[in-house]
Amino acid sequence: MSTAKTISLFLAFVLGVHCAIVHAQTTELRFVTWRAEAPEVWDQGIADFERQNPGVKVVREIGPQSSTQLHDLLTQKLKNRDTRLDVFVMDVIWPSEFASAGWALPLDRYFTAPERDKFLKAPISANQYRGQTFAVPLFIDAGLLYYRKDLLEKHKVSAPRSWPDLVEAAKTILAREQDPQLVGFSAQFKQYEGLVCNMMEYILGNGGALWDETRMVSALDRPAALAAVRFVRDRIIGEISHRGVLAYEEPESLALFTGGRAIFHRNWPYAWAVANDPNQSKIAGKVGMTPLPGFSPGQGAAALGGWQFGISRYSSRPDLAWRFVAFMTGEGMQKRIALATGRAPTRVALYDDPEIKGKFPQLQSLLATFKQAVPRPTTPVYVPLSNIMQRYFSSVLALPNTDIDQRAALAAREMNRVLDLLRDRQAP
Amino acid sequence: MKSSQRAALFFLLPSFIFVGSFSIFPIVESFRLSFYRLILTLPWLGQKMVGLENYTDLVSDPVAHNAIGATLIFIAVTIPLELLLGLGIALVLNQGFCGRGLLRAVVLIPWAIPTVVSSQMWRFIFNDRYGLVNFLLFGADSSRYIAPLADPYLAMISIMAAEIWKTTPFAALIILAGLQGISDDLYEAASVDGASSWQKFRHITLPLLKPALLLALLFRTIDALRVFDLVYVMTQGGPADATNVLQFYGYKKTFAEGMVGYGSAIAVTVFAMSLVLSLAYLRAFKMSRLQEKSP
Repeated sequence: MSTAKTISLFLAFVLGVHCAIVHAQTTELRFVTWRAEAPEVWDQGIADFERQNPGVKVVREIGPQSSTQLHDLLTQKLKNRDTRLDVFVMDVIWPSEFASAGWALPLDRYFTAPERDKFLKAPISANQYRGQTFAVPLFIDAGLLYYRKDLLEKHKVSAPRSWPDLVEAAKTILAREQDPQLVGFSAQFKQYEGLVCNMMEYILGNGGALWDETRMVSALDRPAALAAVRFVRDRIIGEISHRGVLAYEEPESLALFTGGRAIFHRNWPYAWAVANDPNQSKIAGKVGMTPLPGFSPGQGAAALGGWQFGISRYSSRPDLAWRFVAFMTGEGMQKRIALATGRAPTRVALYDDPEIKGKFPQLQSLLATFKQAVPRPTTPVYVPLSNIMQRYFSSVLALPNTDIDQRAALAAREMNRVLDLLRDRQAP
Repeated sequence: MKSSQRAALFFLLPSFIFVGSFSIFPIVESFRLSFYRLILTLPWLGQKMVGLENYTDLVSDPVAHNAIGATLIFIAVTIPLELLLGLGIALVLNQGFCGRGLLRAVVLIPWAIPTVVSSQMWRFIFNDRYGLVNFLLFGADSSRYIAPLADPYLAMISIMAAEIWKTTPFAALIILAGLQGISDDLYEAASVDGASSWQKFRHITLPLLKPALLLALLFRTIDALRVFDLVYVMTQGGPADATNVLQFYGYKKTFAEGMVGYGSAIAVTVFAMSLVLSLAYLRAFKMSRLQEKSP
């Protein structure tokens, strides 16, 4: 045997043994998520988890930030039964769809009732489908009303208790300020999922609903919903906002507010920390926050948002995946995320945590809002329904001359066709 | 003879396999799926053969009508402008001047940038607060700023502008190739006969450029029918569905809503539209050639 051959054989042997050792030692856990707001907290948490579970390596795949785009990525993987996917983050509207399609693993075996009771009820119920639980909530979102405390005080206007109040208050301040840069209200009215959250808050705040969940028919063509939509078009956008909001998602609408160019602003809880951060905001310290109003006092409704962890049904190591999910949604991790980002935790106990209370005193006052936040109706056909609603809302808001009643009737008919798909179900 | 045929087959095999698996199979599969009701999120409904139901739904679906309309308007506006601008650029680049090589490379940049990146850039350009368009139109007077992407008509125009910017270089490239194929002798002969520049352009350049123009037209039409990334990044089909082009609608149906059957029917429709348009162009192409041959 020549020297060269010997050496190459030896090298091959060493490499082979090395690979075998590495493979035997590490188990990879694949986790699809978005870019986190406080990446260092996540890095640290994952490192801690890996330390507690020797031989486990969490491989993170960072997906798109947009919920819709992340949804497309995940459903692609799940549809193809990709075994290289164990754990993923889920928007609050996905669990019933993922459950129905057979993509998400039912977690009741791990996530038992006593454990579930430690969480806020609204996100837990949004994660359940036909009596089974498919996800563990990480943080909760609810629509909130932000306002310029300084401007309201300056003009002796009190925080509005109803939507018509808000329009009047904004008009008063706009008239007195005479600032061409200033608009009365900024929110999310682009044709995308956030539009449904925003519009749902007006419709529910007027005693209406998106659809009737007992009879499974659309409720968009009912008077309460019609009046709410008309109010948004004619008064919110027509009188106190500017047309730019029709292209706004959260970041653009928040930028307008933190730039000092909007009096009122609707957003999720994360906006509080941003608006009060002098590095990112011109109005730090001048911000007020209150539950969203309704059309009569006390009738306000907030859309429930938030993110959860789910496990793929095609995961080859569900037990390990569960350990990871339990770790990431555990008290320790939720607390670290809350302290770093101001995101609202889903574990009730954390609302009494002295450190969180010290740093984010507003969170506790929001607990009532979180408890009452209304999930968007849970159904496996949520996405098609949402697309129909987005189309309807966007067309009546962006085209001021459209006939709302007629468009609503059309949208309702389309929604009913989709809802009818659920009627003839032979339950598996 | 026999063995050489066998060798030929053998050498052709890889391309057959390639075309078969990446081109023919997906088309056939789309056709097949378009006759089924298949909804990923409702697996208990199964995969049910429904015949032409998806197509009859499509015919009565106002959203699809709107999407077909938006796509056709998009094509009708962008392609003539792209070809005109492309022709202009090609004529300039065909002249001999200092730095021509560099300019030719520079002109190609918009086409070379990935569409997702350039769409993002255009989204910023059309932004209602800090966008370049507003600054150019109104300067610092931000109270007059408009929000192009918030208005159904302006949003469509914005997307068209981005598309024209992006693909004119492609048209220019093909037309330039055509220009270079025209022999200088013809121009010299015309000069001897005392033809003006316009006459030379009208009677020499344009007729001889026809094949290149038709080729550019064909490529651009097929490509524009499938416009997707600009819409995906810039507007997501909104506002009021104004930019919901057919390909984006099909994508939403298939990938977001999981309505695979209906989405496939939309994909087949796009395919059929591009096939019909291509055949029409090719026919025109052939006829124009025949006309040139018969004096």
